Amino acid sequence: MSTRNEVLEPITVTDRVHWIGAFDPKMRTFDVILKTPNGTTYNAYLVRGSEGVAVIDTVKAETADQFFTRLEAVARYDEIRVIVLNHLEPDHSGALPELMRRAPQAALYISEAAQLMLKALLNNSDIAYTPVTTNDRVNLGDRTLRFLNTPYLHWPDTQCTYLEEEGVLFSGDVFGCHYCDEQVFNDCVGDFRFSFEYYYAHIMRPFKQYVLNALALIEPLEIRLIAPTHGPILRDHPRYYVERYREMSTPHLHLEIDHGIKTMIIFYISSYGNTMHMAEAIRDGAAEIGGFRISLYDLEGGEVEPFVDLVEEADAILVGSPTINGDAVKPVWDLLSSFAKINVKGKVAGAFGSYGWSGEAVRMIEDRLRGLKMRVPAGGLRVKLIPSPGELENCRDYGRDVGSFLIGKPRAREIDMSQLPAG
Amino acid sequence: MAKAKIKFADVNVTVTVPVGTRIIEISEKVGSYIAYNCREGDCGSCFFTVLDGADHLSRPSALEKNTLFAHFQSILDGWRGAGDIESLQAMMRRENFAGKECRLACQTQVFGDATVSPL
Repeated sequence: MSTRNEVLEPITVTDRVHWIGAFDPKMRTFDVILKTPNGTTYNAYLVRGSEGVAVIDTVKAETADQFFTRLEAVARYDEIRVIVLNHLEPDHSGALPELMRRAPQAALYISEAAQLMLKALLNNSDIAYTPVTTNDRVNLGDRTLRFLNTPYLHWPDTQCTYLEEEGVLFSGDVFGCHYCDEQVFNDCVGDFRFSFEYYYAHIMRPFKQYVLNALALIEPLEIRLIAPTHGPILRDHPRYYVERYREMSTPHLHLEIDHGIKTMIIFYISSYGNTMHMAEAIRDGAAEIGGFRISLYDLEGGEVEPFVDLVEEADAILVGSPTINGDAVKPVWDLLSSFAKINVKGKVAGAFGSYGWSGEAVRMIEDRLRGLKMRVPAGGLRVKLIPSPGELENCRDYGRDVGSFLIGKPRAREIDMSQLPAG
Repeated sequence: MAKAKIKFADVNVTVTVPVGTRIIEISEKVGSYIAYNCREGDCGSCFFTVLDGADHLSRPSALEKNTLFAHFQSILDGWRGAGDIESLQAMMRRENFAGKECRLACQTQVFGDATVSPL
């Protein structure tokens, strides 16, 4: 039996909408950061109105043959009046130049933020296009496309397109996943839930607030079917996926146990207990300020992922590391490198640690924290070897300092510029 | 070398600095919430407000004026009548939009005591 992959048939989604995308079952790593055990799909769609045809998104350049073959089976190039790109990443814009060459009469619609990217991606500043935003409409006779401006899902340019009469939401990468199954529809393919959640966690998670903004536009729509740019077409219980996005994007700590109370987390790792004693003293000092909860965690006692979950919902994060061979230790870097998966911008942060010879770790951690646009109050705390009673009092005072900063009542301090880190 | 005191009101930190130091050299290191992007006066990310001592800061260069002006012109539709930074700032003061004075932290140098805050 031949598969669709071999015969390159388009797939009927509704009587006016066809899937004309491409299967890429051999893809294993996507965008450097995403794994996929059965490949992915690049979903493109063709919409037929009484007065012309629209193509919604294209495919990766390497799979353009599949796209054009499927397109030709349902429409002629001279019928195409409208091309919409919901997202300009090359896996969706790859076949655009050739499509515009074959359908020169078609008008291109992109989001306002996509304009500069379009020129940079195609290296062609002569392309004509129309920038659109929320509630702009394009008429295809008896069918109407309405645009929703949904930026940062997951690029500044991303938008969704809603086919009003059919209740079809062309959502771009939102609600997508890297999962390749030629049965295409969510009620026919294998269990892809792991892939849906994984895609959200790696692509959408850093942009939760933008997801919530987009859902405010999407939720009021009457949705019969969601047609994303990757993975299964969601025709069975499409609302479930919208609800799941809301659930995953809503901060839970503050809903479940909080009443506006802030959270401070102190992570440490310690070879001889010195950095640990500093961590405990910092906690004691911060606790004197009060008004927020404080948790102390030894990085040796846990995995990175749950710690990242904690960081995502915390307001202040302190990291303690000894210095070994002039560097912070690997578990600390493992944690800090994972902060890129979430949004930590604007959270209060700081570093501390005991050291034997040179003590570079604290400044290196502070640089990383600042690089992530976290707010690092001056003066991470370094102690040579075993903290003395006086140094432990400095730790408590550092805790009081950060605690006061966290509750928005920073203690007045006067310092000389020479006390600040160089560089 | 002559010194000056620059206070970051949001973090309640006062730093004694050599005269001529740029705000950007200090603000990140004390945790003040002034955002940065290009650090070259182009992008208009690092706005801050001068709460006190505006006369003790370097005057905005042509580059800074252009960036401030372009930024506010783009976000304040209908306020395009303001032809220069002084009248734009006067309008901002009148409308109580950006406090007393708005500057770029990557461009502004400290020449005397002043108090600043993120916008």
